[in-house]
Amino acid sequence: MSYAFDWGVLWRYREALLSGLGLTLALSLLSLAGAMAVGLVAGAAGAGERRLPRLAAAAYVELARNVPLLVHMYFWYFGLTALRLPAFWCGVLGLSLYSGAYVAEVVRAGIQSVPAGQRAAALASGLSPWQALRHVIYPQALHIVTPSLAGLFSQLVKDSSLASVISVGELTFVAGEIEGDTFRAFEAYIGVTVLYLMVVTAVSHLALRGFRGGMADPAMRY
Amino acid sequence: MDFSAVARNLPYLAEGLLLTLEMATISILGGALVGLLLGLARAWRVAVVRQVAALYIELIRGTPLLVVLLVVYLAVPALTGERIGPVPSAVIGFIAFIAAYIAEDLRSGLASVPEGQIEAGLASGLSAAQVMRFVVLPQALRRMIPALFNQFVRLLKFTSVASVIGATELTGAVLAVNAREVKPLDLLAFLALAYFVACYALSLLGRWLDRRFAIAA
Repeated sequence: MSYAFDWGVLWRYREALLSGLGLTLALSLLSLAGAMAVGLVAGAAGAGERRLPRLAAAAYVELARNVPLLVHMYFWYFGLTALRLPAFWCGVLGLSLYSGAYVAEVVRAGIQSVPAGQRAAALASGLSPWQALRHVIYPQALHIVTPSLAGLFSQLVKDSSLASVISVGELTFVAGEIEGDTFRAFEAYIGVTVLYLMVVTAVSHLALRGFRGGMADPAMRY
Repeated sequence: MDFSAVARNLPYLAEGLLLTLEMATISILGGALVGLLLGLARAWRVAVVRQVAALYIELIRGTPLLVVLLVVYLAVPALTGERIGPVPSAVIGFIAFIAAYIAEDLRSGLASVPEGQIEAGLASGLSAAQVMRFVVLPQALRRMIPALFNQFVRLLKFTSVASVIGATELTGAVLAVNAREVKPLDLLAFLALAYFVACYALSLLGRWLDRRFAIAA
């Protein structure tokens, strides 16, 4: 084994790596917003009493979770070629709807762990069902499930690497380009591994802190 | 939507499905074994063993699966000069990847066994290893069934990523057929359905085993 390392290749490709990192972050943040939106709605429907929304939410969750993310991405990218969506948005849609199912399950569990009396009291005090959900149920439910959500978010950042397969120029894609240009497979892939480690560590810390701050135990506010 | 493209290529697609199931089975068994060993190393009395295991688990859990596969398939061979095919590379990557998650699940499984039982085991004259073998592990493993099957279903879905490094498992086979037939929606619907059935069946098996071996609270 006589391999001459050339880590300088990472420095020479620093601009490509930075732009890949930027796309990874943009992809992750937009998909995070999408997954939260989908998950909050489907989670509330899944925890609700009305039969039809509950069944629809359960069908969505099972369907989305039991199909690989790669297939989700291909569906938007070349299943629906008629839509001519740019690859980046195919990645966002695929990631949002796939991760949204996991967020929905977490949110549903959170809502179910809020005592039923909370909702009854909110409705009795004159809040509309939406207001009760928005101001009473969601804050408590999200506070309870903060660690699970933080875990899902760092999972989402890692999952975004699959967007490279549908030619989104994010971090993994850039590593492939460096490898193609220079044949420095080892340096390129170990380099992006380190970058992912840093981003995922930062995201899971920030997500935990951010939610703890933003979602301080609602009971303590009064 | 008609499925004539699927019907025409059924033997080829069936081969792909078979490879997917083979890869998933080997990776599940290998991943469970390595994961359990790693989890035990994570709880070992010798600090160095514990720290090395913890470092490995943290490294893998911070890395995307696709990158792990690319490291096994491209980066390590670049270093050693020895190439291995996409299918064995993918299986090695899957095992190395999922083992870290299973080890972490084992840790919470072990922690779920009350301290008093360990003390009672030791007080009754069992050695530390015997307490682990006869008292702690049986309960931890039974409590781990849902988490373990979560990882198995994840792994089954992950096998699709092997197509990226050139394995013609189910996803790779569907892509190859689509290159000739250009029926993306039909073929992707078939692909999604096949994964759905396989994953759902696996999670039902997990739920059944969990009920079968449930520990009364």
